[in-house]
Amino acid sequence: MRTLKTSEAAALLNVSPNTLRAWERRFGYPKPQRSAGRHRLYTHGEVAALRDALQQGLSISSAVSRAREALSTDTHTLVGALASFELDRADSAMEAALALRSVERSVEEVLLPSLDELGQRHGIDSAPWAFAARWADDWLRRAQRLAPPPVRPLSVLVGDATRNELDGDSLAVRAFELFCGRSGARVMTLPVGGVSGLSDVIDALCPDTVVIAGSHVSDDEVAQWAYRVRATAGPLPMALFRRGNHSNRVRTTGARVLPDTPFGAHRHLLVYVDDRPDERVGHGVPAVSLLENVEVREARG
Amino acid sequence: MRRLRALRPVEVDERGPGYVAFCGHCGTTPAQPAAQQSRVCGHCGLGLVLQAHADVAPRSDEPFLVIDSTLSVCAVSAQAEDLLGIDETEAVNQHVADFLVPADANAPSAENLLVLLVEAASGTGAPRSAVVRPRQEFGVRFRARIGPCGPPHAALLVLTS
Repeated sequence: MRTLKTSEAAALLNVSPNTLRAWERRFGYPKPQRSAGRHRLYTHGEVAALRDALQQGLSISSAVSRAREALSTDTHTLVGALASFELDRADSAMEAALALRSVERSVEEVLLPSLDELGQRHGIDSAPWAFAARWADDWLRRAQRLAPPPVRPLSVLVGDATRNELDGDSLAVRAFELFCGRSGARVMTLPVGGVSGLSDVIDALCPDTVVIAGSHVSDDEVAQWAYRVRATAGPLPMALFRRGNHSNRVRTTGARVLPDTPFGAHRHLLVYVDDRPDERVGHGVPAVSLLENVEVREARG
Repeated sequence: MRRLRALRPVEVDERGPGYVAFCGHCGTTPAQPAAQQSRVCGHCGLGLVLQAHADVAPRSDEPFLVIDSTLSVCAVSAQAEDLLGIDETEAVNQHVADFLVPADANAPSAENLLVLLVEAASGTGAPRSAVVRPRQEFGVRFRARIGPCGPPHAALLVLTS
């Protein structure tokens, strides 16, 4: 995916960088990502779509609307390909999406909405859903294998509480894993149903945080798994992703509830973990609770 | 041998004399001829530069809307946003009748306003006038100037007191 700096995007649109930032505030488009140095990075596809729309537009608003519509064609193509069971065309639709967007945005703006639409159209117990969900699961796993090796000193243990890859939350969990991996974190996902040999895995991974993801498995089973994790690794910070409404339990355990979108959840988790330097407790050492530390710091403001 | 002069494009106003340029958001006239600059208004940066006949084009303090041939709102000036209490970003692509309705009791039919808008949006028709009021508001009327504008072809509806 080709990205443009603010000055390059402004030049392509024949406007000033200030105008481009004013459009971002007023219209929310083009929507830049941020570089490691927090500079704006625009996707070439978005800027090009807007440039074309501006040539035939009557206002910036209508041009933005038309540019957004042009970009949404990838979703229509993917839905059509999956609905007609054409794997090659589905792969091509994602390739086209990746030409215009980052992996994260391609997943959030094209892959997941397409699957949502298919799920609503056919139901998640249907054959078309099974076909589409398996393809999407495979696509996300392939993308994860192509992700760069871990560079961030962060290990995340994900407790998978979904039913299987046909669970409605499963793809969001896969996407969350992918985004964390692409952010440089080391991620390992284990089903919360299995506790045998868990301590060996924890010893090898040395997780900094645990995320319970999915809502299929019962609270009791999750609690048993989480207890085993803490007994081995110490009182690690815990977060919940797509676990449904568990506000009462969250208050007593101090677990964080992550946003429902994979990208929002991974950002939230990274900010949460990055905000607590030098607090890592050696695994197996039940020292001062990290969660207590966080709560005290928050209380101090 | 005589050297040929370098060829230069000649700036021609496609719509001919009598047409003026204005920003579709702030309504100001661009300082430079339209052909020499971006279509984006250099003054506010939030509108595209359009052209309309001088008889119809808005003065700087007049609110206006731009409507296409399907009667969808394409642009709402900053003044019209304040006057009608709407945001352009939300109004775009909605039917003009969601915001303005005919208010002339002497009009021959309720479709009169819409007919005028479709005519103007097709790029034909002389400047006309109508009386309109905001939808769901009563006791408030505005005289409206309606005429073609663009590019591309659209209807310009300027609200006057």
